[in-house]
Amino acid sequence: MRAVYLTGEQVSLRALVAADKECAAAWFDSPFPVNAVRAEAWLKEAHASLDRPPALHYAIVRTADEAVIGGVTLQTDYRIGTLTLRIAPWLPDADALRAAALRVLHPWLRDDLELMTFVIHIPADQPATIAAAEALGMIPGVRLREAIARPGHRVDELVYQVLLTPWAVRDA
Amino acid sequence: MRNPIMIGERLYLRAFETADAETLAAIAATETDTFMYRGRKPFSPLAYERDIGEAYKGDYSPWIAFIVALREDDRCIGQVGAFPIDYIHRTAETYSALGPAEFRSQGYGTEAKHLLLEYCFDRLHLHVLRSSVFEANTRSVAALMKQGYREAGRLKWADVKGGRYHDDLMFDVLRDEWLAARDAWRAANRQ
Repeated sequence: MRAVYLTGEQVSLRALVAADKECAAAWFDSPFPVNAVRAEAWLKEAHASLDRPPALHYAIVRTADEAVIGGVTLQTDYRIGTLTLRIAPWLPDADALRAAALRVLHPWLRDDLELMTFVIHIPADQPATIAAAEALGMIPGVRLREAIARPGHRVDELVYQVLLTPWAVRDA
Repeated sequence: MRNPIMIGERLYLRAFETADAETLAAIAATETDTFMYRGRKPFSPLAYERDIGEAYKGDYSPWIAFIVALREDDRCIGQVGAFPIDYIHRTAETYSALGPAEFRSQGYGTEAKHLLLEYCFDRLHLHVLRSSVFEANTRSVAALMKQGYREAGRLKWADVKGGRYHDDLMFDVLRDEWLAARDAWRAANRQ
């Protein structure tokens, strides 16, 4: 099920499947507990149509063993996209894994979906993801002060944006 | 006043009621300004009724919405709200829409927004609020600055207007900044 065009050395992306309800804590983007019943209902609702849904959802898997370690949501009107990357809360290297997923997603968003631009919100205390975004040509367009709560303190949230090709489309 | 939640000098904020759907549709249908979005469009009262039905289903909703009403005659002159509200990180994005047009440029929008910010900071205990404005909407930018918001940056190519791409401007405000702005606004109004 892994998409050949969304495969990296460290992590890969694939469509969510019914069996993923059993490991929803890894990919379901919420701080609250989610069980298999809720996850199954959500999976059916999120995949009710193939016809350009407003949000696309994928599993992030470890390339070496196909273990589900996170999830991706792409909110899009197919011109602009907003990426949300979740990494399973028990993994110690979430920042590095998120960076790896971003590196896999970037060429797909640029070359396959041909988005004009996309953005990702990154907490300011995630240096690996920030470095990956900047290496991919993304720019920090917005800094939202103290927007993220951490134990005992708060950090800023950075909104990185990549400007790809402006749409000025001619007839083929 | 009908079921008020936040009360100001000339305005109060209350929950939406089903009967407001017709009023909100009428306000949208009589919009005179064209610079705020890509284009005006009419909305059915049925759509407002559906949204109103969703808005008050329970506590800790990600969407808080208020009707802005005049104290003198209970007339609805717009709406303010916050969406999405993140109760974990204690943040939200605020919005406001004031109309009909004859109620603009009289300070009603600022008064309504200060009531909303007081609700967000002092009742929900949110830590920071943000707002986004289509860059062509210079009136809203000026209003946000009066309410204490600071520029946070811009997102490019947000939408098309007049055949060109325009940006979304982002703003944020912390409670101390809002309090200072409200004090200044109150002092100016007393003069």
